Amino acid sequence: MSLLLASVGFGLITSAVLAVAAVGFTLQFAVTDVLNLAFAAVMTAGAFTAYLVNEQGYSVWVALVAAMAASSLLSVALNYFVYSPFQRRGAAPITLVIVSLGMALIIEFGIAAFAGGVGVSYQMSQGRTITLGGLVLTTVQLTIIGISVVVMAGVHALLRYTRLGKAMRATAANRMLARSSGIRAGRVIATTWAVTGALCGLAGTVFAIDIGTFDSSSTDIFLILILAAVFLGGPGNAYAAMLGALVIGLITEVSAVYIQADYKYAVAFVVLLAMLAVRPSGLLGVKT
Amino acid sequence: MFESAHAAAPAAARLPGAARAVRRSGPRRPWLRTACVAGAVTLAAALSACGSGGSSSGSTATLTFADVAPFSGPDAALGPIYLVSCDGTTSAINEAGGILGHKVACTTADTRGEPADAVPAVGNLLSTAKNLELVIGCTSDEAASVVPVINKAKTVMFCMTGQSEFDHVKYPYFYRLVPPDLAESYAMTVIAQNLGYQKIALAFGNDIGSQTFVQPAVAAIAKAGLQLVANETLDLHATTFRTEAAKIVAAHPDAIMTEALGNADPTLFAEIKQLNGGKMIPIIGTSAAISPVFYSACAKAVGASDLAANFHADNLVTATSGPAYDAFTKALLAVKGKVSGAQTGDFTTYFTAPGAVHLYDGMNLAALAMVAAGSTDVAKWKPWIAKIGNGVPGAVVVNSFAQGVADLKAGKQIRYVGPGGPTSFDAYHDSPGIFQIDTYSTSGAVMVSGNISAAQLRAVTP
Repeated sequence: MSLLLASVGFGLITSAVLAVAAVGFTLQFAVTDVLNLAFAAVMTAGAFTAYLVNEQGYSVWVALVAAMAASSLLSVALNYFVYSPFQRRGAAPITLVIVSLGMALIIEFGIAAFAGGVGVSYQMSQGRTITLGGLVLTTVQLTIIGISVVVMAGVHALLRYTRLGKAMRATAANRMLARSSGIRAGRVIATTWAVTGALCGLAGTVFAIDIGTFDSSSTDIFLILILAAVFLGGPGNAYAAMLGALVIGLITEVSAVYIQADYKYAVAFVVLLAMLAVRPSGLLGVKT
Repeated sequence: MFESAHAAAPAAARLPGAARAVRRSGPRRPWLRTACVAGAVTLAAALSACGSGGSSSGSTATLTFADVAPFSGPDAALGPIYLVSCDGTTSAINEAGGILGHKVACTTADTRGEPADAVPAVGNLLSTAKNLELVIGCTSDEAASVVPVINKAKTVMFCMTGQSEFDHVKYPYFYRLVPPDLAESYAMTVIAQNLGYQKIALAFGNDIGSQTFVQPAVAAIAKAGLQLVANETLDLHATTFRTEAAKIVAAHPDAIMTEALGNADPTLFAEIKQLNGGKMIPIIGTSAAISPVFYSACAKAVGASDLAANFHADNLVTATSGPAYDAFTKALLAVKGKVSGAQTGDFTTYFTAPGAVHLYDGMNLAALAMVAAGSTDVAKWKPWIAKIGNGVPGAVVVNSFAQGVADLKAGKQIRYVGPGGPTSFDAYHDSPGIFQIDTYSTSGAVMVSGNISAAQLRAVTP
């Protein structure tokens, strides 16, 4: 088995999961103006929702839909009860970041109190192992990559060809101007929370499927990878997040072949810092 | 410890500010002064009765044993194991009438397995816990940072750390019933030898507690004439270890020595199995792997039959029958289903979990020491730990707290021998045991598959 080729395969899986999360995160940030650091905690909530449904005997793919619904609701509630009131009072963006960090801890520790500190797994088979050249992937991992591709295509279609997508892009570009043009920005923002919340639940569940065993703090470091992917590509741009996720996913896994593997995330961040030093707006960001 | 209220009054009186305050506001009329003095004496006596423990005062304030260990983070499985032991032991002590009339209760301090979190958690414990008599737990994750703090607070602790830095450093309040980690590394190497494995891969977590095994293991493998083919460090905060698993599989080891708790080992095992064509590579774990949580997570990850067929771990020899074992299992079963975070898997695994067994013995030793000293003053009862643990000439062997109390009341000298076997404290309060080899059944029950002799250990000791 070629380690390099195998690591490319591993990088593709990491990228696939990361892309779903990063696209949700960056859309949320672009349209709502909230850098929601509770995103990963909501992912965990989604993963645990799927776990509860799965424990009732339902397939993990059915549980995934429940996770999307639950995370969507949780995100809408977060906006309605927490972030919106702060925004209405004119809270500074950094205040909202701190608030979201607090919400992340509340959600994470809430899950820990409910589920305990130990790891859990879905009742599912990882499927057959398929070797393609040097790539070694299970059918479940291939399914995750497929889901990610479908989600990326769906997000593209949403943003390009639907009224909602166009309204989201307009609101992200200039909220006041969008309002002046007759776009109901409030409704668009609420819908964005629902849509990105669903993506968050999807990301949380495929993340948990991929890693096998997860607990309330499993997404802690994943949040850092999401931020890296978003800012490497260019914040607020869904396509940039996809590219960022691909680069970060591949770098972390391929670098682990050549260096002590527990430093692989550090390598991703060295690349991010170097990239931002040369091009602060990110790979696909617009130079100002 | 409970005599601190007596000591506090003169200390306060020595404060210059306090003296000046008395001079400024002191009563001028003699009858009022007399009344104040009488009132102060009465109040002091009342406070003294409230705050002091020990049989001499007649107080029955509840004593506290604190479980200082990770309850969250990658090593979150450890805290609940110790808590099962604490709740079970204190339940048995209370059922036997308590310590000198005091009931005993357990409390916890979550260290998250990180020194930075452990120190404030212990600081909070020491400042808020009432009648804190004993600390248990203090794993390798946090021992280096919290042992000096607990020692400074003059609180006796029975720690589950194997770090070698405690082998020859004297902390008067530190006790240990487990061997140094390097001995476990040697034991794992002996297991590999016994099973005929030649090529060994190492996969240890990047936490302090796991990394302490690595260098001794590397040295022991070389001494034993085995071949080290891979040495991977696992970031316990990472979510997958696919590349690490691929490196290990590519090195074609006969066996993997590992300790990476939390989700790391289950994830690694699953990924190795996937990359190795659906076949597990034999695993040799540390004694920390003998826990229901570890079994449950790994069995889900790779399948119970694969785990049972491919897993061995070193563990200290513990009783599996006899009066000490019976008293121990009865104590733990009394709290079955009642301990938060300990509802996973086969409960009987706790009967061989080193943390449960040896901390049970540590708590019984401390409790019997208090009874033997006739006091809950740590300065008086601490010396009795070694006397009761090591025994004195003519001492009768007791196997439980209740039995020990009965013999002490009868005026006998006692030596406590619990399910962890006889203790033999050295000058550093270490009492290392001897090793056995454990495996799991497909249902998660722990089975002993062999023993490791002292000669075998010496043969691989660099």
